[in-house]
Amino acid sequence: MPKQQKPVYTPRKQEIPSRGDSTSLFLQVIISIAVFIFAVTLSGVLSINSMLHNWNRSILGSLTVQIMPINDINKEKATAETLAYQERAIDFLKTVKGIAKVTVLPDSQLQKLIEPWLGDGVNIANLPMPRIIDIKLEPDAEIDFAQLSQDLAKASPQASVDNHKLWLSKLIQFADGIKALAMTVLILVTAITSGAIFYTTQMSMGLHKDIIEILHIMGAKDTYVAQQYAKRMARFGLSGGIVGLFFALPTIFFIASLAQQIEGGIISEANLSLNDWLIILSLPLWATAIATSTAYYTVKRTLQKML
Amino acid sequence: MITKPDNTIIIEMNNVGIRYDQGPEILSNIKLSLRKGSFHFLTGKSGAGKTSLLSMMYLAQKPSRGTVTVFNQNVNFAHRDSLAMLRRKIGVVFQDFRLLDHLSAFDNVALPLRVCGMEEREVRQRVSELLSWVELDRSMFATTATLSGGEKQRIAIARAVINRPELLLADEPTGNVDNDIAPKLMKLFVELNKLGTTVVIATHSEKLITDFKYPILHLQNKSLHIKYPADISTLRNLGGAYA
Repeated sequence: MPKQQKPVYTPRKQEIPSRGDSTSLFLQVIISIAVFIFAVTLSGVLSINSMLHNWNRSILGSLTVQIMPINDINKEKATAETLAYQERAIDFLKTVKGIAKVTVLPDSQLQKLIEPWLGDGVNIANLPMPRIIDIKLEPDAEIDFAQLSQDLAKASPQASVDNHKLWLSKLIQFADGIKALAMTVLILVTAITSGAIFYTTQMSMGLHKDIIEILHIMGAKDTYVAQQYAKRMARFGLSGGIVGLFFALPTIFFIASLAQQIEGGIISEANLSLNDWLIILSLPLWATAIATSTAYYTVKRTLQKML
Repeated sequence: MITKPDNTIIIEMNNVGIRYDQGPEILSNIKLSLRKGSFHFLTGKSGAGKTSLLSMMYLAQKPSRGTVTVFNQNVNFAHRDSLAMLRRKIGVVFQDFRLLDHLSAFDNVALPLRVCGMEEREVRQRVSELLSWVELDRSMFATTATLSGGEKQRIAIARAVINRPELLLADEPTGNVDNDIAPKLMKLFVELNKLGTTVVIATHSEKLITDFKYPILHLQNKSLHIKYPADISTLRNLGGAYA
C-alpha cells in the first residue's frame, strides 16, 4: 500500500486581500510622498535648530569691538591714531574680568569679510575700514554689557561694543518663522496622510464588505478584522516610507551642498547631528506606526456601525 | 452516542419584526422557541423572509422590534464581542456558499478556527481530517474559485461544521447540488443533529420535507407557522418547536 504523503502547507493568506485593491498602490504612493516631504522638511527644521544653537553658543561666548577709523588727509597719521585707539581698547579689555581672549582681526580676514560685497582684489588699506577686535568670554562670564560699553568708550572713544544681539535677534526671529512654517507643513503632511489612510481604509472596507461580513459571521471580533488592516498598513507604511526616504536623502544632501556654497558661514553652521540623522532615518518606522494605528482605529470605528 | 434533546432553549424570538430602512415589515410578530437538539425545516415562498429570519438567527441582523435571545443572551443588548463569541457556536451554510474565492479550500475551512485564535498546528490537523472526510484532500490547496459547485458545497458545509457548532443553519443547502448529493448532505446534517447540534434548514424542496419528516417552520404573510408532518410517529426525537 503506498505511503500517504504528508500535505505541504502553503503560507497562510490574509483573508482580506490587498491584491486587486486599488487603494493599495494609492496608499503606498501617498505614504512615500509624505515621508519624502516630511524628511526634507524635518531636516530643514533640525538644521535651523542646530544653526540657532550654534549661533547662540558662539554669540553667548563672544563680543566684537569695533574701532572706527580716524579720518584725516594724512593717511599715515590717521592709521597711527586708529591703531593707538585700538591698543588702548585692547589694554582696557584685557583688564575686564570675564574676558578670556582678545584677538585683533587680521587684514586678511577683514578682506574676506568684505569680499562678498566689494569683490576680491580690493586693497583695504585704501578704505576707511574699522578695526575689529574679537573677544572670547570665559564660560559663565557675567558681563554687564552697558557698563562695559561705557567704560570702553572712556578708555578708547573710537571703540564701540557689539554683542550681536540686534542682528542675531532678527535672524532668530526669521529662523523661528521658517521653523514654525516647517512645523505647520509637518503637521499638515501627517494630518493629510492620516486622512488618506482613514478614507482609503473605509473605501477598502466597502470593497471587501462581503469578506468582513463572513469573518463576522464566523465569529471574528472587530479586533481580528482591524489587525488584518493594521498588518497590511504596516507593510504599506514601511515600504512607502523606505521609498520616500530613498528619494529624500539625495535631496537633503543636494540642498545641504547648495547651503554650503552660501558665503559668510551662517548656513554652514547648520549641520545635522547623529541624533538628527537617526530621527530622519527612523521616519519609515514612524510612518508605519502612524499608518498601522490609523487603520486599526478606523476599522474599529467603522465596524461599530455594523452589527 | 445520541444526545437526547433537552429543554434548553437555543433561540427564542418574541414579537419580532424586521424591516429594511423605512420599508414595510417583512416579518411581523414572530414568536419562536427552538430547543437544543431539535431539527426543523424552514419553508416559505421566495421573498417570504426565510433569509432574513435565518440572518437574525446567525446574528448578522438585529430585529427592528421585539426580542431575540440566542444562547440565553438578548441580542439587542449584547456587547459586540459577546455577539462574536455567540457566533462561534453557530455554523452557517449559505445558499451561494459565500466562500472566500481568493483562498484555498483549506484556508476557507480553517476560517472559523483561526478567528477563534486556535493554534495553527491544531488548525492543520482538524481541517485536514475534515477535508479528507468530505473527500476534498486532493483539492485542499486549490483556490475555491477553481472548484466545481459540488466541491464548493462540501467546503461550505465543512466550514460550517469544523468548529462543532451547537446550532447549524443552512439556507437551501441542497439547492445547487446534484440530486444524488442532496441525500448525502442531509445524512450529514442528521448525524450532526444526533450528536446534539440544533439544525434549521431553509428549503424549497418538497422531496426533502417528505423524505425527512421533521417539523416545518413555515413563513406566510409575514408570520411564522409551525407544521408537523402528517405521520408524526415517524419523527425521531425532535425536541419541541412552537411558533
